[in-house]
Amino acid sequence: MSARRLLERGLLPAALVVGALSALSDGADAQPRWIRGPTPDGSPTPSALLPPGAPHPDAVGPSRVVYPAQQITIRFNHKKHMGELGMSCTDCHAEAKTSTKTADRMMPKPAVCDGCHGSKHDDLRAVAGGDAGFGSCDTCHAGWTPDRGNDVARMVLPAAHLRSNHKAHADRNINCEQCHGAVQELELATREQLPRMKGCFTCHAVAGPQKGKATSDCVVCHESVPDGRMQVTFKEGKLTPPRWMGSLEHGADFIARHKMVSGDNAKACASCHSESFCTDCHDGRVRPRNVHPNDYLSMHPIEARMNNPRCASCHQEQQFCLPCHQRSGVTMSGSPGALRKQGRFHPPASVWSEPPRTRQHHAFEAQRNISACVSCHTERDCATCHASAAAGGRGYNPHPAGFASRCATALRKNARPCLVCHESTELSTRCQ
Amino acid sequence: MGPRPLLKVAGALAFGGVTLAAPSARALEAEVTSDTAAQAYSLRSPFGDPILFRRRVTQTLGVGLYSLLPEERPGGPQLFVKLRVRLDADFGVEATERRYDAGAAGTRFTPGLSDAPLDLMYGYVEGRNLAGGWLGVRAGRQYVVDSLGWWSFDGALVRITPPYVHVEAYGGFEQRGGLPLSLGRFERGGVSRGDRQSTLDGSPDAFRHFQQAAMAPAYGVAIESAGPTWIHGRLDYRKVSNRGVATTNALPDASGAFGTTSGTRTSSERVGYAVDGTAGRWGAARAGIVYDLYNRLVSSYYASVDGFVTRRLTVTADYDMFRPTFDGDSIFNWFTHWGMKTATLRAALTVTDRLDLAASGGARWYQTDDDPAATPVAATGVVPGGGGGVVTSNPEANDPHSLRDWLGAANARYRWDSARVALRGVFETGDRGARQGVDVSGDKSFRGGRFFTLARASIFDWRDELRPDQSATSVGYVLGAGFAPAEYARTRVEWEHNTNRLVGQRYRVLAWLTLVAAR
Repeated sequence: MSARRLLERGLLPAALVVGALSALSDGADAQPRWIRGPTPDGSPTPSALLPPGAPHPDAVGPSRVVYPAQQITIRFNHKKHMGELGMSCTDCHAEAKTSTKTADRMMPKPAVCDGCHGSKHDDLRAVAGGDAGFGSCDTCHAGWTPDRGNDVARMVLPAAHLRSNHKAHADRNINCEQCHGAVQELELATREQLPRMKGCFTCHAVAGPQKGKATSDCVVCHESVPDGRMQVTFKEGKLTPPRWMGSLEHGADFIARHKMVSGDNAKACASCHSESFCTDCHDGRVRPRNVHPNDYLSMHPIEARMNNPRCASCHQEQQFCLPCHQRSGVTMSGSPGALRKQGRFHPPASVWSEPPRTRQHHAFEAQRNISACVSCHTERDCATCHASAAAGGRGYNPHPAGFASRCATALRKNARPCLVCHESTELSTRCQ
Repeated sequence: MGPRPLLKVAGALAFGGVTLAAPSARALEAEVTSDTAAQAYSLRSPFGDPILFRRRVTQTLGVGLYSLLPEERPGGPQLFVKLRVRLDADFGVEATERRYDAGAAGTRFTPGLSDAPLDLMYGYVEGRNLAGGWLGVRAGRQYVVDSLGWWSFDGALVRITPPYVHVEAYGGFEQRGGLPLSLGRFERGGVSRGDRQSTLDGSPDAFRHFQQAAMAPAYGVAIESAGPTWIHGRLDYRKVSNRGVATTNALPDASGAFGTTSGTRTSSERVGYAVDGTAGRWGAARAGIVYDLYNRLVSSYYASVDGFVTRRLTVTADYDMFRPTFDGDSIFNWFTHWGMKTATLRAALTVTDRLDLAASGGARWYQTDDDPAATPVAATGVVPGGGGGVVTSNPEANDPHSLRDWLGAANARYRWDSARVALRGVFETGDRGARQGVDVSGDKSFRGGRFFTLARASIFDWRDELRPDQSATSVGYVLGAGFAPAEYARTRVEWEHNTNRLVGQRYRVLAWLTLVAAR
């Protein structure tokens, strides 16, 4: 929403913020003021005339990344030409039926205009105007004045970052309006009339073999990089998915929520992101600051204890956490040299590990978040007390309620953990 | 099959793919990427000493060979090779930390610590849209991302892709720490594995928690919906087995001996399902569940419902549960622990196409087998000094209770085409402590990306209820700048300075060099 619209709604503070930020913006349509827009009075294009899939109302317009900013310096009234004069789209845009790529130029050559307007564009260095009524240069070339001679404002129409194939669509009898909206009802056709992805999905999201070549694969329409992924980075910005597409919108907090998307549909992620994009954080060697903020080394214990499940998504406790904790002396089992000056990390043993259990007893901490224990402690630390007396421990039973019904299966699938704390003779009698 | 033969097979497949495609070499596209990151910082023990000086240089090299088939076109048959290796050198590791010397006083040997591990992050040859678009294959070291998590294995994957339903099957060996060109990042937790033989072979009783790594056979299947864009689901099954000899008794038995076990045994066996759907302009929902067949319990589930309240406002309700499970060799599976559950409400607002806001708040709760706040509970077991009598515990008689944390987060982001400003705030508080803070970051590129700057400032405060002396407030900032001297090269330098009462001043320097060559 623009600052002007916010101001019109009385949201002065928001308008000031957006206005200030917009002032720093470095990319927008550079449309000269003397060009009239799609409607005679400058009002927004009615929703019904926009391309299929355009939102209602369309405050933002199509993607600035897919369709880079244009500078249109020609006045043209589609409604007059197509309505009053009965022309068709292809009378001017003949290449629209044969074009196979977006880089093709489909604007009519000036000679097409000459036929009716009486002008002569044969030699662009010496163009002659036509009749005074509708043949003068400024009829079409906005901003032109007689003293400028052949000098007309340059029109900039960058190619869309798509691989849209007009011919393929025309061959399937898809008419212009199905993608571009009701251009014949408008004066100037701007970027607003360029196809919207939601409209494309009317055909491209059809399931099953009947869809033919109109698949929903990203690279059917979008440009790709060599390994087949969709190209998402352009000098105009980055492409991100819209909300209506599987609720994949990459909002301000997406990084904290993306696991639900990737776990379900990793293929959707891989259509844009390479492995190295994921490994930079999930298997990286440089702390990603958008995940772990400044001074995370100091504050990681408190977050690890409160919300450890999140750590395990990137870090294997005994491989990543334990060696560092052993080196820095924050462990119970480690080399004597590293432990030599160790203080006590946990609360006093009288409340932390001795019975009876009080609020600060380690049992509750383990029940709440055993992953935090595993990031420092080896099994020997626990077995010292929790192993059976026969196996050299003190026999404190750490097993949960209902364990007895599962232990036989566990023993059958993997006896190793059982043997850490129990003698095999013990298991054969107790775990049937 | 050992790891080296496996790599040879992968290499042969890759080489074969390239060789077979040689007649159409005119279409070949190649890319070589090199990333070098050098960082230096210190890490202080909470007790003040020792201080570890980290001077790390991480070098990754990526190679890609694309368009190995004649006349490849988007969406058509495709064959390519991708590979990425990494050398992570830590020049701050001391000699006494690397070498085990049982007789040396003050040894600081850390099992598994390597000062310059080299790993193959991924390296595979892949064919897509083969057999009329019905077949995909991939062979080599590769990642799998699914409802069961982020995982890596050496082997082959086949994907059958007819309309409506895709089927995937794969098999090979899990990537495990201690094996050549491998790290332990993708193993299940709770077990410490590595190359014990070369470091501790002469000391079988030292560091008995540190297990010798062995090849771990793994296989999995997945069924995934395809076609409709408004609904998607995927069912995953994966099993990994442990092999080789593992030490068992953590403590010596009556004769003073330590035991071992061997043979094929379960490492993990899980099944997961995830589904999502979008209901036009009304909203979307997604949900997932993972059942651990080894532990015989639901280890995680989640559900999320988005309501598209307006075109710009989305309101979300999230609920998730996570209960840690570990490798089958780990004892920690069988210690009493419960799922941590989190429920949040969230609102996300797209103010303009450049400005996004999001805020969420909720609760996280967890179960204990008794009420920690109630009258002290007598533990079961032997009574210390009580003559060695064992009291049999009865966990079935426990009285479960639930404890709760409160949490919230806020995010804002404004983007230009060449710049970005972001704000993040978090808070969480509960009976074990609290954490809250905010950071603001921004970056800006100039002259088409030739120059780059970044800055970040933060303030965070935390309170540790168990160890009040470790509570602190931290203030920090980061400044950085980058320069792209050519299209194929980018450099960046960052300076980080943090301060809190526990460590005083902490500094970190980071330098990057990225090179890309493509043909």
